[in-house]
Amino acid sequence: MEAPDGSTLRDYLALLDALSVLCPFTEPVRLGLYALPIRGPGRFFGGEEAVLDAVAHTVRDAVGHEPSLGIADGLFCAEIAARERVLVAPGMTDSFRRAQPLGALGRKDLVTTCRRLGLHTVGSFADLERARVAERFNTHALVLHRVARGELSELATQRDQKLGQRLARLRGEGERRDEQVGFFGGRGAGDDRAQEAAHRVRRRLGASAVVVASLRGGRVPEDRATLVPWGSPAGNARDSAPWPGRLRAPSPAMTLQHRVVVQLRDAADKAVVMGSRGFLSADPTTLLFSSQVRRDVVWHAGPWPSLERWWGSSRRRAHLQLVLGSGEAVLVVCESRHWWLVGIYD
Amino acid sequence: MLPLGEPWNALVPKGGLRRGSTIVVQAPPGLGGLSLALSLVTEASTKGHWAGVVGVDDPGVVAIAELGIDLRRVLFVPRPRGAWAECAADLLDGVDLLVVRPPSRAAHGAARNLMERVRERGTVLIALCEPGAPWPLPADLSFNITQAEWATSSRLDARYLTVRIGGRGEAARVGEHLVVLPNRKGRAAAR
Repeated sequence: MEAPDGSTLRDYLALLDALSVLCPFTEPVRLGLYALPIRGPGRFFGGEEAVLDAVAHTVRDAVGHEPSLGIADGLFCAEIAARERVLVAPGMTDSFRRAQPLGALGRKDLVTTCRRLGLHTVGSFADLERARVAERFNTHALVLHRVARGELSELATQRDQKLGQRLARLRGEGERRDEQVGFFGGRGAGDDRAQEAAHRVRRRLGASAVVVASLRGGRVPEDRATLVPWGSPAGNARDSAPWPGRLRAPSPAMTLQHRVVVQLRDAADKAVVMGSRGFLSADPTTLLFSSQVRRDVVWHAGPWPSLERWWGSSRRRAHLQLVLGSGEAVLVVCESRHWWLVGIYD
Repeated sequence: MLPLGEPWNALVPKGGLRRGSTIVVQAPPGLGGLSLALSLVTEASTKGHWAGVVGVDDPGVVAIAELGIDLRRVLFVPRPRGAWAECAADLLDGVDLLVVRPPSRAAHGAARNLMERVRERGTVLIALCEPGAPWPLPADLSFNITQAEWATSSRLDARYLTVRIGGRGEAARVGEHLVVLPNRKGRAAAR
């Protein structure tokens, strides 16, 4: 039950922030429920159970009671696992799902009808042919059938569609609200002087020599930065927090406009590649530029895959932070089987 | 005086940047020089002053915003090519602080002209250089990064910079300080 004074939402946001420190891809699902891609942070905490310990610890610190945690593939099974406090091993999610009672799919009419057919588990419903489901049940059931078969990883009703907006609004209230002014809006003498100076540089070097920067929504620094020639019409891009799975501060002081292809090598000088499940093939020990310049990698964090990758699929990217032997830190991204240097923490 | 934020206000004479002065930030490439130079702009920027950034090829816009700089009052000239000194001179009249990263070793004459102009206009010049290509003239105030170390957990958390602060006159009392830049929020902080 949500308290009328908004404290439920505030508490939820506070815990979201605390969990995001642990794992930058913590997702708000609905009040009382969060999802974390366990296989990312697992590496740093020494296995899945260690991550669960860290999560439980964070929750205890934040709200004072024990959370109900579980692990499984996909939001549908993950929620059941969490409720029942079980850890479903990799590859076992399928049988876990099939063993669930039909009620797990959340529709009483489906349970009643199926019981008459002698079907009691998600698995037995999944075994029905799609055509038979279409003929005997309504359209809702077709979607549920796909969930039961594991073709869809979550039920539409699991997520609170308005939660993101509500959290954004809540976060916005706490911050100073700037009135949206044009680039030279609210003009003063200083603005006029700056404008003249920018004109002088443009006359010297050309129209695109002077640029201005702004932020827009996005997950990673290179998506969030906008640099446009000074004097071009202001875009309507706004940075609307929170962006799920945003790479947290600090961000690289240099973000390369044209990313640079690099290679990561392991101790045996073999290329480090990203597996389809978000693992690195080995720990990177060398960063190799196309100029054949080699730099030692002494520490790395990540990979942080794009969030879409975990509960669905679209653009596949994974970011990795590296600290090099001489003390510099850099941000690299894996996309289309290549590694790219995208940022330098100068 | 232009205001300085934490931790610099406690570390430099009078806690601010004197108008007309030249500040040199020197650091090996990639070890925090850019963050340091930009962090000197933060407080003045939030107070409504304009800043220019010349010669920083690929400014990390998100990091700059995290430092607390108001992006609406920053003009960037990322690639001034051979004309960095001229661009800097052009911008000096229009901004209150100017960060310049010369693409190569700054010539003696260019540096002198620029510093004279800065004195006339009452701007603050922040020159970002590497030890291999130092600023050719003595600065009013200098920041030398001698060591950079990252604190990490499951990600990059914060960087500890050892900074030697020195300069002319009152600033001559050389001091070595450990500051956090960036911290977990991307800002500069005292340890």
